[in-house]
Parts: sequence; C-alpha cells; structure tokens
Amino acid sequence: MIVEVSHFLSIISTGLFFLVGCFSLTIKNNSYVTSLISRTYSHAFLFLFISFLIYVWLAATDNFSVQYIYNHSNSDLPVFYKISSIWSAHEGSMFLWIFFLSVWGFVFNIAIKNNQILKPKTIGIISLILVGFLLFLLITSNPFTTILPIAPLNGADINPVLQDPALAIHPPTLYLGYVGFVIPFACSIAFLINGDPDVKWEKLVRKWSVSAWVFLTVGITLGSWWAYYELGWGGYWFWDPVENVALMPWLAATALLHSLNVSIKSSHLRTWTILLSITVFSLSLFGAFIVRSGIIDSVHSFANDPQRGLYLLAFISVIVLSSLCLFISRFSIIKNLSNIKIFSKESFISINNIFFGTLTFSIMLGVVYPLIYEYLFDQKISVGAPFYNAIFIPIVILASLFLFFSIDSKWSRNIGLKIFTKPIGLSLLLSVSVTTIIFFYFEVSKIFILLSVFTGLLVIFRYLIEIWFSLFYKKYLNPFSAIAHLALGLLLVSISLNSLLSTERALNIKINEFENYKDLKIYFNDLRVNKGSNYDAIRAEFYIEDKKGNGFNLSPEKRRYFTRGQITTETAIHVTPIKDVYLTIGDQLDDGSWIVNIQINFLIRWIWFSAFLMAFAGIILISSRRRT
Amino acid sequence: MKKLLQLSIIILPISFFLIFFILLTEENQFPGADYREFDLPVFELKILNNDVSIANSDLEGDYVMNVWASWCITCRIEHPYLASLAKNGIPIIGINYKDEKIDALEWLSKYGNPYQLIVQDYKGTLALDMGVTGAPETFLVNKGKIVAHYEGEINDYVWNQVFDPIIQERGMFK
Amino acid sequence: MKIKYFFLAFLSFSIFSGTVYEFSSDEDEKRFNKLIKDIRCPKCTSGSLSSSNAPISEDLKLKIAEMINEGKTNIEIKEYVALRFGKDSLYEPELSKETYLLWFSPFLVLLIGLLFFLFRIRKNS
Repeated sequence: MIVEVSHFLSIISTGLFFLVGCFSLTIKNNSYVTSLISRTYSHAFLFLFISFLIYVWLAATDNFSVQYIYNHSNSDLPVFYKISSIWSAHEGSMFLWIFFLSVWGFVFNIAIKNNQILKPKTIGIISLILVGFLLFLLITSNPFTTILPIAPLNGADINPVLQDPALAIHPPTLYLGYVGFVIPFACSIAFLINGDPDVKWEKLVRKWSVSAWVFLTVGITLGSWWAYYELGWGGYWFWDPVENVALMPWLAATALLHSLNVSIKSSHLRTWTILLSITVFSLSLFGAFIVRSGIIDSVHSFANDPQRGLYLLAFISVIVLSSLCLFISRFSIIKNLSNIKIFSKESFISINNIFFGTLTFSIMLGVVYPLIYEYLFDQKISVGAPFYNAIFIPIVILASLFLFFSIDSKWSRNIGLKIFTKPIGLSLLLSVSVTTIIFFYFEVSKIFILLSVFTGLLVIFRYLIEIWFSLFYKKYLNPFSAIAHLALGLLLVSISLNSLLSTERALNIKINEFENYKDLKIYFNDLRVNKGSNYDAIRAEFYIEDKKGNGFNLSPEKRRYFTRGQITTETAIHVTPIKDVYLTIGDQLDDGSWIVNIQINFLIRWIWFSAFLMAFAGIILISSRRRT
Repeated sequence: MKKLLQLSIIILPISFFLIFFILLTEENQFPGADYREFDLPVFELKILNNDVSIANSDLEGDYVMNVWASWCITCRIEHPYLASLAKNGIPIIGINYKDEKIDALEWLSKYGNPYQLIVQDYKGTLALDMGVTGAPETFLVNKGKIVAHYEGEINDYVWNQVFDPIIQERGMFK
Repeated sequence: MKIKYFFLAFLSFSIFSGTVYEFSSDEDEKRFNKLIKDIRCPKCTSGSLSSSNAPISEDLKLKIAEMINEGKTNIEIKEYVALRFGKDSLYEPELSKETYLLWFSPFLVLLIGLLFFLFRIRKNS
C-alpha cells in the first residue's frame, strides 16, 4: 500500500534527522563533518519531502483507505480542496507544520555555505526539533493509519466553511511564518553554544527573520479577511484565543526585527535579540500546543485530547527551558559593554521592545487568565475585546508617538530630542487640522478614537514628508522602514475610523418591498432556489440604490450542505474604496418577511491593505541588494 | 540584581509550564452545574392542562423545576428518573419550553407525567429569565430562590453530587 | 415567532420601521450593537451574541433590546445577563479583587520596563 511507503519514508527521515542532530552537537565540527551533516540533512529532507508528496497525492486521488483522508475529504470536492483538506484537522496540519519546518531548514542548508561557523549546529538544532515533532506525529497523531481491509467508497465531507480559497492558503501561509522563526532561534542557540561573541549571527539571520515575518503578517491578514466575508458577522478581528496565539509571535517577531537591526548596526541589545529569538519561536510552539491541547474554547481549535497536549507541553518546555538555561549561562559572554545613549535610535528601539513586550504579555495574560481563574475559583470568566482594547489602544498610541519622535534619532549618538523641526511642525499641523475636521464633521465623542486617528495621521504625514524629502532633496531614507511605518499609521487610522463610522442594523423586509437604511434604499426583488455541487441554497436578490440614484445588486444566500446538513450564510458585499455594503439574510418571520442584516463598514479594506503594505515593505527588504 | 533577573527569566517559564501541566491534568466534573442564587423571575403564564393562569407568586416552598419539550430527545432519557423523584415525594414543576401544546400533551400521555403542574413557556421568556439555553435543564428552588441549576440530563449520580448537597445544607423538602 | 412580531408592533414608539429590533433613537441602537458584541453567546463555544444566530441568542438579543427601550443602563443589562448565564457571558471581566492582577499587570509591566530602562540609562551616563 502506497500510504505505507509514505509512512516508512517519514520514519526513515526521523532517524536521519536524529543522526544529524546528534552529530552536530557532540562531534567536533570540521569541514568534513560539516559537509556530512549538511548532506545528511538534505537526504533526510528528501525522504520527508517525498513522504509528504505521496500523502498529497493520496489525498488528491481520493485514497479513502487512509483514515484521515476518509475523515476529512470527499470525492465530490474539487482537487484543490481535496489537498487543502489535509490541513483541516490536527494530524494533517501537524504533518504540514513539520514539513514546512524541514523546508526552512533545507533552504537554509542550501543557501548558507559550509564554512559558516554556525551552520552545522543550527542545522543540528533544527533537526532535533524535527525529530521531536515527528515522533509526536508518528506516535500520537499518526496521519497514516488505514481503514482495512476494505476502503470506503467515499469520504465524509469536510466542513463547508473550509471550502474556500482564502481559507485553503491561510494555514500554509501562517505555518510558513510560525516555523520560519526556527532559523533565528536555532542560529541564536548555535551562537550561544559556540560561545564566541564576535560571530555576527544577527547579520546571518536577518533576511530569514524578515521572510518569516512577512509570511506571518500575510497569514494573519488572510485569516482576518476570510473571517470577514465568510463568517457573516462582518468583524475582522475577534480576539479569539487562536487569533491571539498568532498575534503574540507576530508582536514578538516585530520586536525581534527591530532589535536585530540594532544589534547589526551598533552591536547593542544583543542579549535582547537572542532572548527575542527564543521568545518568538517559543510562542510559535506554544501556539501549536494550545490549539491542540483541548484546554482552550474556540471554534478554531482542533478537537483534541489532553494526552497529546501533555506530550507537546513536555516537548516545548524542554526546548524553551534548555534554551533559557543556555542563555543565562552564556549571558556574561554576550553582554554588551558600551552604553546606550539616551535619545539615540538604540534607546528608542529599546523602549519599543518594552512596549511590544508588554503587549505580548497582555495577550498571554488574557488567554491564560480565564483558565487559571476557573481552576482557582471554580467559576468561569471571559476575557475579550473590551480588555484587549483597553490595553492595546493606549499602548499603541504611546508607541506610535515614540516612533514619531524617533525618526530624527541617530545611531549611537544623542542629538537631543528634536521637537521643533520643520517636518515635525508640518506633520503636527496637518494632523491637528484633519483630526479637527473629523471631530466636528462626525461629532466624535470618544476621546481615544480621536487620539488614535491623530497619532496615526502624525505617523503618516511625517513619513510622507520624509519620502518627499528623500525624493527631492536626496535625504537618506530607509525604504523598508518608511513603507512599513507608513502602513502602521494607515492601519491605526483605518481601524479607528472603521470603529467610529461603521453601522449596522437588522431589517425585516418582505419580497417586492423595500426598506430604507441611512441613505440607501434596499429593494428585495426575488428569492430563488439555487443548487451547488454539494449544497442547496436559497438566494435572495436585492437591489440597493443610494441618494444619487446609483445602484448595485447583492445576492446573499443561505446554504444547506448535503453531507452534514450544515447551514451556512453566504454574505454579499459591495466594495467601494471608502466602504463596504455588507448583506446577509437571517430567518424568515411568520409574517413572511425576512430578516436582512445590513452593515456599512468604513475603510475596512484599508485595514488589510495596510497589513499587506507592511508585508510588502518586508519583501522590499528581502530583495534589496544592500549588504545587510 | 543581575542574578535576580536571570533567575526570573527561568522561573517565569517554569511556573508557566507547571500551570499548564496542572490545567491539562485536572478534570472538571460537572461543567453543567452552577450555584448562582437569584430570585425566581416574575412571570405569568398558563398551565398546560387547563390554561389557568399561574404566576411566580403562586409557587411556594421548595420544589424542582424541570425544563423540557417534546422535541428534546435527552428529556426522554431523563424522564424515568424524574418519575422516580416524584414518587419519592419531590415536587417537580415542569416548564414546557418552546413547544406545541398538542405535542406536549401527546408526549406526556405516551411517557407519563411526573410533574405536579406544567407551565407553558412557548416564547421561552420565563426560561430566558432563568438562564436556560436549551433542554433539559433542572433548577432547585428554595423558598422562591433558585439555588442550583443543572444543564443536561439528570440521573442518580448528578442528583447526589449536584443537588443533594444543597438540599441537605438548606434543609429542604422536610 | 408570531409573538415576536406582536412584540415589535407593541414597541411602536420607534421611528424606524421594518427593523427587527426597534429603538427610539440612534444612540440606543448604537448602544445595542455595542452591547451584543460584548456579551457572549450562552450556547456557542465562542463568539458574541452579535455573531450568533442560535435561538437562545436571538431570544437574548430581543430581551436586551426590550431592556434598552425600558431605559435600563448597560450595567443593569449586563448584571441581568451575568446573573442568569454566568459572569463568563460578559467579555469584559469585572473589576474585582480576583481580577486586579488581570487589569493592572500590563501597566505594571510597562512601568517596570520603562523604569528599568531609565535606570540603566542613568547608570551609564
């Protein structure tokens, strides 16, 4: 049976990775050993790659003798979704996670020359981590179990909500981000083991870290965008535990990127950078653990048992604690001796690290607190948006203000805090003007929204001015920094205005009648029955007209999928640059009218645009030909 | 100072992992039980058999309230236990939740009626006021106050673990 | 379901027609929309009332709309929900002895971090 081949190859690769790990950490590395380690890793990867490829083939060709494929796929699914069903549940997604981890190691193995002193140990550490996870996969979460002797003719359908292109690529993108941080992690550990403070590991891992960060940013944004149009509630972020668990490594990774920059430019904050490398990867691992352990309530989490949770917890604690012990024992070697000057770039980034650290800590607190509270007091509490908003809004505003004043700062020099420069004055003037207009025009009563809009505008205007200066006065500007921070300002403004201006209502309309909402007329024209490949649907057709007489059609649906009888709502969205008109249908009332939920979401596309812009800035950095 | 910092870097994660270890290994016995106390909500509804009006003020003393419906499958499963409770002298008041009168009467004639009386709650307004999210759910009422609430099927084990301690503590049903 | 309709007709001091939840002002409607986002759906694994169309969520939303029209404050409404469905049905954890740590430690951490930083800078210069 072909699946057994795939299974066997995974076992072989586990063994080979184990050899690589042991060799690299115990045997004294010389050029022969290094080349042996490198080659063996590539072989191990090859086996794993073929194993995964076979598995994908099995899924794509409806091989229902494999238990997991039977449980999560179906011959009626398009091929694309047959393959994406692999990562729709625990075993398969764990396999993907592991495979991607090995891919990052492989690319690193190929790209970095053998004479790089940290290479063998880095590869070795990656290999050992792979061994741990492969053992977890093969022993507790085997995707290769078969249904014998007779294979079922057809599989169970997967959740219809998962049959969506964005959702098919959201997990892989996210995973590529999560596991990519194994590179800075393994490299920092290799650096610590090696013990020579002059090795410039930060320079080595910089582009790798930015790449992983780009994937993570895109992955999270895709998830948010998908949730908005698929789930039918019109939100883009729910502070759901699984979302939080992706945001934490992202925040720590952003801090890492800043800290790496400092360590490369002026050799300060090297201890912070190592600690952050360990933290980001630990948070990625923690994320993998928590959604599979069964202790978190989330629609997102994989149904799982505490046994697997315990194994993962043990494995992760070994990785994290041994890294930290190593860190502490080598602390004195890497401790940087010269001082950070106040108002220098390094000091601003130091403070930034503190801000990001606090935000990450707060999310962890919010996720873990209900669990501890329930254990201690036998009562449940929930920690949701109100808490996170209360913490995030003031801190993000503060951090953005620091960002604004940090732009003039220089490396390793204290030129004082510049407040009376032309760019600052101009940005302040523009921001105050725009904010005042917004205040009066929209009659804003919430002070924090005004503050966030103001701060976001400050950042945007400042960077636009800097870009202007760099284009016309040849003033130096780091493009990555400019675009990424501009995107941050835009994100801040979009989120605030979206929260301020968006509205919604549940209407009830009868067929061939209309209702008014804001300055829109919503005509309920028709109700049809629609048949899809694996569902039945009711399709409601609306024509919506605005004050000026412009109109558009929207057709939300309610679907019932055959295999599970599950009912989903399909949204209908009219997108314009400024706002979305978002429509879903609810139940039918006894008088024949239908509940029609309408939302007008302002600037919501700008939110994702800002996030993608940030990721784009990262791509610019990776593809730039500069030395660092 | 430095040593303290270094120590805290390792102590924090250790305690963190310990916390999760404890959380993973402990078992929550009765997720469906809670003991929030509040007054029986004000209501005025009809009795199932005869459409006579009944209000919360008409109910006195100690009793059990059971939320049920003819469409609820688990209610059928717990039904024999309710019958045995009634036989042992525990007064049970039924709340017929979001049901049709005909279906409810038919269900009762088919499976028997353990209730002293049954309140018709077709809109579910009384149930909502009591914090009901589905059927079956069972409440313990002590002198006009709800003192225990269980979501799910009750049986001997649940009764002994969840309701009996409260009954003994408060000296109910004497 | 029919009762719902009578319900709505009864509350006809609203200036909106053709809406499921009728309010007498824009502010009330905004208050409602915010409230249902901050209250958890009692029966779902996770998610607010706003994002749930479970029958119990619909019932609770109607009740909340009714309470708003009766002039009840947000605190009274949240107390009502918490008493019946548990404190965990509120997404904003109450501020009590047991949750001081939750609400204050982020700012404590921030403060300690910043003080630490200032201390180091001062020591160095």
